[in-house]
Formats: sequence, structure tokens, C-alpha cells
Amino acid sequence: MTSAKVEEYLEAIHKLEQIDRPVRAHRLAECLKVSPPSVAEMLKKLCREGFVERTADMGILLTEKGEKAAIGLVRQHRLWERFLTDVLGISWDKVHDDACRLEHVASPEVQEGLEKLLANPDTCPHGHPIPSKDGVYAQQNTVPLTNLGAGQRALIVRISEEEPEMLHYLATLGLIPKIRIKIEEVAPFRGPLLVKVGKAKYALGREVASKIQVSEIVN
Amino acid sequence: MPISCHSALPQIRTDTALTLALAGNPNVGKSSIFNQLTGMGVITANYPGKTVEVNMSTATFDGLQIGIVDLPGTYALGAVSEDQWVARQAVLEGKPDAVVVILDATNLARNLYMLLQFLDLGFPIIAALNIVDQAKRQGIETDARKLAEALGVPVVQTVAINGKGLDELVRVAVGVARSPGCCEIRSPGYGQDIERAIELLSKEIESKITDRPYNLSARAIAILLLENDPDFVGLIESQPNGQDTLAAASKLAAEIERDHGEAAPMRIARERHGLAGTITAQAETIKRKPSSYLVDRLWQYTTAPWTGMPILLLALASIFGFLFFAGSYLSTVFGDLWAALLSPIIDGAIYFVFGQSVISKILIWGPDAGIQASLSVGIPYVLTFYFILALLEDTGYLNSVAFLTDRIMHNLGLHGRAAIPLVAGAGCNVPAIIGTRVLTTMRERVIASFLIVLVPCSARTAVILGAVYLYAGWQPAMAIYLIVFALIFAVGIGLNKLMPGQPTGLVMEMFPFRTPNLATIIKKTWYRFKDFVFVATPIVLGGSLVLGALYETGYIWYLTGPLSPVVEGWLGLPAVAGLTLIFAVLRKELALQLLVALALVRYGHDAQNLLLFMDARQLFVYALVNTIYIPCVATIAVLGKELGWKRAALIVAATVTLAGVIGGVANWVMGSL
Repeated sequence: MTSAKVEEYLEAIHKLEQIDRPVRAHRLAECLKVSPPSVAEMLKKLCREGFVERTADMGILLTEKGEKAAIGLVRQHRLWERFLTDVLGISWDKVHDDACRLEHVASPEVQEGLEKLLANPDTCPHGHPIPSKDGVYAQQNTVPLTNLGAGQRALIVRISEEEPEMLHYLATLGLIPKIRIKIEEVAPFRGPLLVKVGKAKYALGREVASKIQVSEIVN
Repeated sequence: MPISCHSALPQIRTDTALTLALAGNPNVGKSSIFNQLTGMGVITANYPGKTVEVNMSTATFDGLQIGIVDLPGTYALGAVSEDQWVARQAVLEGKPDAVVVILDATNLARNLYMLLQFLDLGFPIIAALNIVDQAKRQGIETDARKLAEALGVPVVQTVAINGKGLDELVRVAVGVARSPGCCEIRSPGYGQDIERAIELLSKEIESKITDRPYNLSARAIAILLLENDPDFVGLIESQPNGQDTLAAASKLAAEIERDHGEAAPMRIARERHGLAGTITAQAETIKRKPSSYLVDRLWQYTTAPWTGMPILLLALASIFGFLFFAGSYLSTVFGDLWAALLSPIIDGAIYFVFGQSVISKILIWGPDAGIQASLSVGIPYVLTFYFILALLEDTGYLNSVAFLTDRIMHNLGLHGRAAIPLVAGAGCNVPAIIGTRVLTTMRERVIASFLIVLVPCSARTAVILGAVYLYAGWQPAMAIYLIVFALIFAVGIGLNKLMPGQPTGLVMEMFPFRTPNLATIIKKTWYRFKDFVFVATPIVLGGSLVLGALYETGYIWYLTGPLSPVVEGWLGLPAVAGLTLIFAVLRKELALQLLVALALVRYGHDAQNLLLFMDARQLFVYALVNTIYIPCVATIAVLGKELGWKRAALIVAATVTLAGVIGGVANWVMGSL
């Protein structure tokens, strides 16, 4: 079993890994607002329990076990956020802190009930995707959207930022990283792709689609 | 000249008691609402250099004159695309008393994004929850009261297509607009750290920026700066202390980026989507799984690879056929009516005033022949095309066409949306060029317009058929089409290489099938048509008078001399044929009619059979040159209006050069066979 404190560390490392890998100890200290010595001590513990490994230059990386645990926590956190907004009707900007506490104390039965109640929603109130139970979202293998065919589902991993205007335009349409999409159709002769996002369908030309890096979701 | 938004927006504000702006995503029934609220008197205005237009009109409610500004349909407000920029600029400058945001109940979450942006800007908002009937059929029930509570704005349910709820909408909107400050404008709450950044930046703006752009709140400007909006960054930069504010903004944006692993504009967009999703979840209940209806499934065949292409070919053939037959039918009707009813009166009046003089003869070219020309060439085809265009837009099929043809168009520096105007060019170039307004960049519009000018319109087809097919057989006639199509591709590829800039990628929403509304289609057709008539007719009239004067005074014959080296030497045509090509500027098929007439004058009755006067090779070159060179005067007028006169002149010069080179080469190749 992991303590709430361990869980907090795992979540923080996971979050920082999204920005830059490996994670540096001082960034972790800043992020958690704790002193560097206590970080060092906790890291030793995490290493011992197999959640974390250190690189040669003392960088911090989650092990597979650590990552799975972190993703599980992210999922719990976001499910709680949805519960607080959708079911209890609490304003979405106020739910983060409560979700932080709830995610660490709920028993597996409560968590399961929560999942059933919310019918596995795709995103948290803040628009973040909720990773599925097996932790799909942290895939490393990304391909350009153009590599996928009709009927495939994918998660947007990143959009190359060569054209900030295009990036911004796509963002207004809801095409942002960590969002699930489905390729509905691919026009013949290497034509554009028809992509479904939420309830809307968009036609994306090849040159646009090739800039969107995705990871395939296999059901 | 088109009316400028800078003058039209303040005008409508002073002319009416209050103004409302209509905003919404594309295809949410916004134009239906606009058309049902307003009468026929619509003003179309645009910003200089922008192609996206803003429509304005007035409505009367309870004896109150209300100005209604119809913003372009967009997914968001911002500076990233022309339509978004125009929509935002029109509300910032027009300062409507309230903004009616029309929401598509079948896709509420995406539609709320722009409403949240309006709240951020601090405008009084009324939400019209439209298409509730279709949403119900899809099993989506939206609780308007809960939605109103979550958003903090009044929500009215409407079914625009049959006018349901529109009275209520106007009543509520007028209520909000008349009592400014009655309802507190509540901006959506973002995540805590974003809110903190907004608050810090607002304080900075309040203390340092004395003249806030467009009188927006400090909060609105803070959000725009965190979003790195280029317009507002520029506006703040030019102010005293502006640099400090911008530095503070980028510091806060960097903090957001550090904490969330994504740039601040992205983060704000994500949170806005998240907020839209949460509000939707609170207000919406899905009664059952959305089942796909037969019509939706059938609609999918329009984009599926193996069915889409045949459907497209069928659709293009029917469009072309309809344009050709309905257009030429109207053309004959208008022409005959004119000749039978008005022409004798005008001619009689002219002769009555000026007697049997040269002046009379010149004048007849203008009001009589000129108007008849636009009645029988431009107007019937323009009217028919606009009708088809509005129909295709209303059903959403235009987007399927764009999807399927995007690949081919990309080679020409265009994207799929250019396909319909290009095909329409075969009916008449004029509406086709106006139709390029669906393209977003000037680069695309110039390429598309140039290519359209090369597409043989119905009048040029008449010359090809009348001169070549009739006297030289179908093979040479076919050859002309092949040469012209090859030329269109070559020019497109060439322009794509030569013109600065990149082809823009296609990003376009695909709509489900919507039942078209005849009233909306007819009104749309009329607005566009009216615009064309007022622009093109005076130019056709003027052009006709000039040519008439040259002809009736005999000065035209002096041109035979300077033309002969090109016409006789290079193209191998009789000099008199060159003269008729000049007249083709007025109407393309006039070239052939005049050729026959002039041949009769010069060579006597034997020349009625054109082969006695020109051989098959000459007729081929003649028709080829006539097809490629100089668009007719109505086309030139529209090119000038849509693209600017400099670009129009360049396109005209380029077609003349191309026609000369290709005609000469054809003459030379056939001569050496």
C-alpha cells in the first residue's frame, strides 16, 4: 500500500515528466513546496519500493510500476473532480483541492462505484483526459495522424508548433493534446481525413493532419 | 465600392434605438434567425482587405427600431483567422447593446466555447438554444433553466427554421439591452492558478493602462494578453507603460506554462473547453444513445471513398446541367422580353431626342444593347448559380465536395472549397469569382479567380460550338477544351509555385444533413444577386458606350492597322477577325456574331458560310484565342471589385499574353503539319 505522501510524490513526478524527462530533484521540491532534503529522503524510499529509478546524472524517472500507480491516481483525481461537478454541482474551479484529498482516502469499492456512476467519462472538468483503467494515456509511440486509417481511434499527443495560428485555431475547435479522436473517413488519393472530436466532425487536410502527433488507442 | 464596417456599424447604431449582434458557430441556424427577424433591406459591409462580410438590417419590435448585426459564423473570437477577427472586431467597434449567441443544442459543448469568450469580453449575452427539435430527436434534452443558471445569462429555446421562440428571444434580448447593468456579467471561472494570474494582471492593467482598448474591462484584456492575442499585444504595446504590462503578462504566462506543461493560450483554451463540457454535463441529459437516422447514414455516403466520388460527379453534372439549361432558359426569356418590351421604348426615346444621328446610334449601344447584354449573359447565370450555391450551403453538401476534392485542388495551391466556384465558372465566370469568397486568403482567391477566368463559360462555349464544331468537326472543338484544361492546371501549378505564401491547409467542420429552408435560400440568393447587379451593370453600360462610340464613328477601323502584325502575321487570322475579338470584351459570344456580320459587310453574302472567309485552322485559332484571352467586361468588373484593380489588370494582361502565345503556337504547329 502507498501512503498519501507517496502518492503525492508519484503524481508530482508524473506531472513533471510530461514537461521534461528526467525530472530534477529541485523541480520536485519547488512543485511540492518541500525542502530539498526531505525530497532526497523520500526519493530513497521510492527507489527502494521500486516506484522510481535514478539516471546516471541523478535525474528522476518513474518505473513502470510507479507510472501505473501515478496514472491510477490521476484517474482517481479526475473522476472525483467529475463527481464533484456533475453530481454535486460544485463549481468546477473549486473542486481541485477536495479531489486531491478524496483520491487518497477512497476504498477500492468506493472507487469502483464512482466509475460506474460516472460511466467512464472521457475528460475531467478541466478538459484533461481521464486515463482508462489500464492506463492507456501514457503511450510513448506517437505517429502522425495521417498514418492512421478510417475507423481507428487515437489520442492527440502533441501538435507541432510551426504555425502558432494553426495551433490556436485547432485549439478553439477542441483539437488539443490529450483529447480522444476517431478517424471516420480518409478521402481517396491521399486526401483529407474526417476526424470526430466530441460530437463534431472536422475535415483536416493532409498537411494539417501530418502535424498532429497521436498515439493509437487499441480497444 | 463595398460599404466599410467602419462607417456602417456606427451608422446603424445612430439610426436605431438599440442594436443586437447575432453570433454563433457556422450552421447553427444563425442566418435563418437573421432572415426571419429582418426585412429585405440588408446592408453588407466589410473591413478593407477582408473578404468576410458583416450583414446588417433593422427589425421592428413593439414599435422599437432595432438594428441587427449578423456576425460571420465562427467557432471562436480571435485574431487567428479572418472570420474570427471580423466577428470580434465588429462587436468591439460596433458595441452592440447585447449579443445574442445562437447555440446548436445538438452540439452544445463546442458551441459554448464562443459564448464563454463573449462573457470574458464582458458583453451582455442572451443565449438562443436553437435546433432543440433535432436535439430531442437525437435523445438530447437540455434544461434551459439549468443552462441559464450555469452561464448566468438568459436562455431562450428556439427552432429558427419555423420561427418558434423568436418573439420570446427578441423580447428577452430587448429587455437585456435596454437595462444595462441589470444583470451582472459574470465571467466564467477558470482554474485557481489561472484566475490568480488573471487577477494579478488585471491589477497591473488597472494601475498602468489609462486608456483600455475598446473600453474593455481589465479582466478581459488580462485574459487576451495571457492568450497572447496579437491584436491586443500590439494595442497595449503602443501605450505608455505598455511594455511593463506585457512583461508582466509574459511572466505570468510562463508560470502557467511551467505548472501545466503547456503554453498559456493552450491552457486557457483547454480550460474553456473543459468549462463548456462541465456546463453542458450539468444542463444536458442524454435520454438514450444517439441512434443514427437513415438520412444521416445516407449523408455519410457523400464522403465515403467509393460512393462519394460518383455522387460528386453526378452532383457536378447536375449543377452544370442546371446552370446551363436554367441559365440559358432565363437568358432567352430575359433577352426576348427586353427586345420585345423595353428595347423599342428606349430606342424610340433616344431617336426622339437625338434624331437619326451618330449620337443616337452610340447611345443605343449603352442603355439598350448594354443592358440586354447583362440581362442575357450575366444575370441569368448569376441568379441561377447563386440559387444553387445557397442550396448547397444550406444542406451542407458544399463541405462534402470540399472534402473529396481537396487533394486535387491542393496541387493548384487551393483547397477543396475552391471546387464549386471553379465548376460554376463553366456557366458564367462572374458569380464563380464572387463565389471564391468561400476561400479565406487573398492568395487562394487570386489563384482561384485566375483559373476561373480561364474556364470556358457558356458564352465561350457558344463560340467554340458555333465556329469550330459547326465548321471543323467535334475533334478540334474537343481539342480546344483539352488545351484549356491543360492550361488551367499549368497556370494553377505555376501560380502555386510563383506566388508568395503557402497553400493553407483544410480545416473544416463537416455538418450532418440539414433540411434546406427555401426562404433562407431565396433571401441569400437575392442579397448576393443584388450586390452583383449594382456593381456590374454600370460597368457593362460604360464599356458598351465606349465600344459603341468607336464603332459608330468608324474609329474602330483604324485599329486594323496596328493589330495586323499580331492578328495576320502571328495568329494567321484576317485582320477584321482581330477587330471582333476586341468586341468580345463586351460579351464573349459577340465576337462570333460580329464576325459573321462584319464578314457580310466586307465580303458580301457568300461570307455567311464562315469557311469561305476563314479556313478550319483559322477558325480553330480564332475560337482558342477568344476562349483564353481577356475576360468579358462584367468579369473584369467583378475581378476589380473582389481582388482590387491592380490584380484584375494583371490577370487580364496575363490572359492576353497567354492567348497570344498559345494561339500563335497553335497556328504555327498546324501550319507545319
